[in-house]
Amino acid sequence: MNNRNPLINIIECLIFVSQAPLTIQEISDFLKDFDKKEISDALSELEEQWSGMGRSFVLSSIAGGYQFRTRPEYSEYITEFNKEIKKFRLSKAALEVLAIVAYKQPVTKIEVEKIRGVDCSSSVSMLLEKRFVEIAGRKEVPGKPFLYRTTNLFLETFGLKNLKDLPTVKEIEKIKEDIEEPG
Amino acid sequence: MEGSQSAYSVRLEMFSGPLDLLLHLIKKNEVDIYDIPIAEITEQYLEYLDFLKKVNLEVVGEYMSMAAELGYIKSRMLLPRIKDEDEEEEQDPREELVRRLLEYEKYRDAAAELGTMEILGKDVFPAGYDHREMFGEPAEETEFVKFDLWTLVDTFSRIYSDRKKSETEDIFLSSQTYTVEERKNQLIEVMRREKEAFFEDLFEGDKNRMKLVVTFISILELLKDGILDIFQPTFKEPIKIILKQ
Repeated sequence: MNNRNPLINIIECLIFVSQAPLTIQEISDFLKDFDKKEISDALSELEEQWSGMGRSFVLSSIAGGYQFRTRPEYSEYITEFNKEIKKFRLSKAALEVLAIVAYKQPVTKIEVEKIRGVDCSSSVSMLLEKRFVEIAGRKEVPGKPFLYRTTNLFLETFGLKNLKDLPTVKEIEKIKEDIEEPG
Repeated sequence: MEGSQSAYSVRLEMFSGPLDLLLHLIKKNEVDIYDIPIAEITEQYLEYLDFLKKVNLEVVGEYMSMAAELGYIKSRMLLPRIKDEDEEEEQDPREELVRRLLEYEKYRDAAAELGTMEILGKDVFPAGYDHREMFGEPAEETEFVKFDLWTLVDTFSRIYSDRKKSETEDIFLSSQTYTVEERKNQLIEVMRREKEAFFEDLFEGDKNRMKLVVTFISILELLKDGILDIFQPTFKEPIKIILKQ
């Protein structure tokens, strides 16, 4: 540990004190003397070091950034200890709406409803309010309905690196390729 | 249907909609999705609908149109199929339904997968995790609140009352009238130049309350017309107005 790369230590402490996942961009904007490659290598090494240590927390790559997070096996102790924490709960319907928005974004409510075969207004308002989805503009069709997309908070909450990191399910692979081009 | 009330409520929670129920029935009966025995499945579907009517009227509506659709497909299956001269193959009346079921199934499974992820605030926690800061108040207290709309109204009423305190009311002195049309055009000009602006800043030149109101209405109309767009990066940040291309 003594002859550890000082860059790794600097990055580590920055991540440690950061409120939200810290991105490579934020780190390299700050550490101007190092190039992006050095920083991203240091991050990979740091990630590996932490995961290999068998600690109760690891360095996770989340929403385009890095954050220390506890391992899931200790969640019960944490929620027991911290009574402020409300149990995370999304209904099956809301989760379906969220999945459709995530894979098909930007998407209108009508398009979501077409897939699910039921009215999704309350799920959409709930997801908007929870800030898992946001308005991405309006679709250029009659009535100009709102287009929805997922937020950074969605990635953070579900522990995803980016949208490409969404779970692969059957033919959804193909849809995911389509969303890689920002539309 | 067998089982007690409590068993029913578990089952209610099980299905998120008519397509989910249909997929369940197809799986339960171990039948091929490409060759659904419509008569049997429809019968079971209607049984479930009857049961829904008894226990939970609210969601019945969601299942009704699918019942009608199933009935329609069933009747078409019974009719002798008329071959269309242009078409080489006759169309299976179930085809469209199967397509929808498969499409829906993908997202339903993806949603289930999402639900098993390591979720922040449930399975995993960062240092100094603050639930309230992360997710705000619990959802049940603030249902149907569109935060952007409320922040907009709050911001305007603050601007409105601030202006009243700091500026002299010159409403009686001004012989000028302010029209929304005029103000809209001015705002478009400003936005063409600025591309984006804080909602508050658009009221900068408005010396009296009359002007404030005209500006507010103009912004709302431009939003409605789809000329401007409104964004709030996060809950705590001020509202921004941008010009749409």
